[in-house]
Amino acid sequence: MRRSHLLATVACATLACAPLAANAQFAPAGSGGSPTSSVPDPSSDNSFEPTENTPAAKSRFAGPSPYAPQAPGVNAANLPDIGSMDPNDVPQMAPQQSASPASGDWAAYGHDDSQMRYSPLSEITPQNADQLKVAFVYHTGSYPRPGQTNKWAAETTPIKVGDGLYMCSAQNDIMKLDPTTGKEIWRHNIHERYEAIPYTAACKGVTYFTSSQVPEGQPCHNRILESTLDMRLIEVDAATGNLCPTFGHDGQVNLMQGMGESVPGFVSMTTPPPIVNGVAVVNHEVLDGQRRWAPSGVIRGYDAETGKFLWAWDVNRPNDHSQPTGNNHYSRGTPNSWAAMTGDNALGLVYVPTGNSASDYYSALRSPEENKVSSAVVALDVKTGSPRWVFQTAHKDVWDYDIGSQATLMDMPGPDGQTVPALIMPTKRGQTFVLDRRDGKPILPVEERPAPSPGVIPGDPRSPTQPWSTGMPALRVPDLKEKDMWGMSPIDQLFCRIKFRRANYVGEFTPPSVDKPWIEYPGYNGGSDWGSMSYDPNSGILIANWNITPMYDQLVTRKKADQLGLMPIDDPNYKPGGGGAEGNGAMDGTPYGIVVTPFWDQYTGMMCNRPPYGMITAIDMKHGQKVLWQHPLGTARANGPWGLPTGLPWEIGTPNNGGSVVTAGGLVFIGAATDNQIRAIDEHTGKVVWSAVLPGGGQANPMTYEANGHQYVAIMAGGHHFMMTPVSDQLVVYALPDHKG
Amino acid sequence: MPNTYGNRTLTEWLTLLLGGVIILVGLYFVIAGGDLAMLGGSVYYVICGILLVAGGVFMVMGRALGAYLYLGALAYTWVWSLWEVGFSPVDLLPRAFGPTLLGILVAFTIPVLRRMETRRTLRGAV
Repeated sequence: MRRSHLLATVACATLACAPLAANAQFAPAGSGGSPTSSVPDPSSDNSFEPTENTPAAKSRFAGPSPYAPQAPGVNAANLPDIGSMDPNDVPQMAPQQSASPASGDWAAYGHDDSQMRYSPLSEITPQNADQLKVAFVYHTGSYPRPGQTNKWAAETTPIKVGDGLYMCSAQNDIMKLDPTTGKEIWRHNIHERYEAIPYTAACKGVTYFTSSQVPEGQPCHNRILESTLDMRLIEVDAATGNLCPTFGHDGQVNLMQGMGESVPGFVSMTTPPPIVNGVAVVNHEVLDGQRRWAPSGVIRGYDAETGKFLWAWDVNRPNDHSQPTGNNHYSRGTPNSWAAMTGDNALGLVYVPTGNSASDYYSALRSPEENKVSSAVVALDVKTGSPRWVFQTAHKDVWDYDIGSQATLMDMPGPDGQTVPALIMPTKRGQTFVLDRRDGKPILPVEERPAPSPGVIPGDPRSPTQPWSTGMPALRVPDLKEKDMWGMSPIDQLFCRIKFRRANYVGEFTPPSVDKPWIEYPGYNGGSDWGSMSYDPNSGILIANWNITPMYDQLVTRKKADQLGLMPIDDPNYKPGGGGAEGNGAMDGTPYGIVVTPFWDQYTGMMCNRPPYGMITAIDMKHGQKVLWQHPLGTARANGPWGLPTGLPWEIGTPNNGGSVVTAGGLVFIGAATDNQIRAIDEHTGKVVWSAVLPGGGQANPMTYEANGHQYVAIMAGGHHFMMTPVSDQLVVYALPDHKG
Repeated sequence: MPNTYGNRTLTEWLTLLLGGVIILVGLYFVIAGGDLAMLGGSVYYVICGILLVAGGVFMVMGRALGAYLYLGALAYTWVWSLWEVGFSPVDLLPRAFGPTLLGILVAFTIPVLRRMETRRTLRGAV
């Protein structure tokens, strides 16, 4: 955010825009010239990636051929290739802790296989929560060192199984802690390089796996599985932290195998891989906005016991589930999935929340296969790697409405009184889809409604309709109006009013434009983002926190993009920190680059729209999906104009990142807001019954567990560079006062 | 003769300064507000801007009319704000809070401006 702000300011200064030119992120398209001849003609059908013989692109900045060798360090641990294995030979999976955790455990990222983020613990209640005190703090040791750009946002949620709290640092070191004292029992350092950090140094968590092949009592019977920023799949022994020798090559698998040309930081993994019927399923993020022919978004299955390759789901090679051989690679630029996936052992499925094809804001070069599965929930059969069903949440997405949330599994009453296995899929749009997980059919009504179409970009028409989940409360505010502009005074409010009027805006799904900016609301931070939702199966209450943070976007011609210095991360001229996801992007290989900033007053750093900017909502899923309570989340204490903290306790509602936990004690625990606080909220009334200031931003999903007979609440106060909250390496754990560690 | 034109008191200087600030804000309102109105947005800023520029100019000239014009613009601001957003404190904050603070300062200038007017009248009589 700071970087894009700076870029916009520099661009403005170089182009000598008048201070009153509120939309002046850069000069109008006319001065940039037409798309250069080196980029494909958008009107032609050019859906498929360059071949080995395609001449190199002639624009000023361009990434290498997809057939070029991977840069040094891409295979981070210099591991040999991994062999393949027939998925039918995967041994029967042993019963897993995450299938039915002990009542005091938190055995998976979202507590258990359902990913409900619900704990049956009840020692802490709305009556005693105000007595919560810090029990211990653990330092992971991962934070930006001098000279390193702050790209940190640990986003970590520990898991707790038996006598250990297992977690990872933002740079993927793995550790086991004593759950009552925070004392390190073991720590496995993986020596990840700074260059491997993509958009964000994050490790959302690790996966606990019990082997059916190694007998109990022997090393690596219980294992910790981790996927890393530098694309390694690692298994260590849960008891000792030592690498498991029977997994991959001495405990590691190189997941850059078959990916083709890449550089460190382009492709990375930040979520704990689910293990479904013995298959460890991995997805990865591909840095947004770089180039059309970025590395593939392929989803892959590996044997959780041996690390052997089982299958690939490669969107543009739908019938080939094998590993590419020789100089071949998985199809480039296909939709990537960076959200946490959810496994379903009973149906043999993994629910993959997908994102967009590479080059988010231009869709003319996407194949029909890509258009079917982007920004969707894809249910992959873990035996074959083929989709069993697909439900799309945004058609031909050019708004970065990739799904950040993890799907939550729950039971819904069906029409004939039977229970339907359901899946809740939150989206950045604030539309929450409730689907039958057997076939992907909506359980609550979904309407295809007309959307602004065809738009203005030649050869890139928008979808005439988009899906709306009309049976669920929308987690958004009505379309913006001029009078929703805000500020400290009429002076900055007037600035924002002009900015609003200067942009194209016809509500949600306003099509991209080159001649002037367009307003994107909901923005790419959500609605709902990676924090996902928590669900109390007993009360039927669903807890959702969400954002109201519009974006100000504009396509720029290739010439203008070159002038702005936009280039893909694998361009030889690229300098670290020279643009990345969520900001301005080269979108090399398409006719346009993209300039994205928050819809804000760039001089004060305040959002242009009126508060609130973040909300929390409780929805009663058992009685007609009514909103039980809803209020702004986050105070103005750490926010204000020019980034200055106001210290005000005013619950203005801040942008938030990170989710919630709901407990049988009737409490919701949540950090997320940019006021750097953790709160306990009464699940039934929405009343905040306790809050505490964290040592860093609470942009992580909290968790709760029981140890030594008492309940603890843990949150990684890692901060978030994009949310501009303070970075720390501290896991903070709270308990009621008698139980200090 | 005490307090000739070139021998002002501090309060008089502050009054003139305030008038200058109001002219600047008014000019911004007229220019940017004109831009907004041309874009199909609210015409409040242009109208208010004209009142502010006029008010500021009269204040700098040492005329109490300037202060009354500002207070008139403030009244217009409140009426417009309430019309646009009702009694919502969050939405009244950017619209009316700053102008009202400025209005309190302007109210304090009324006796100063009156004194300046009286002096000018006396000087004219002499």
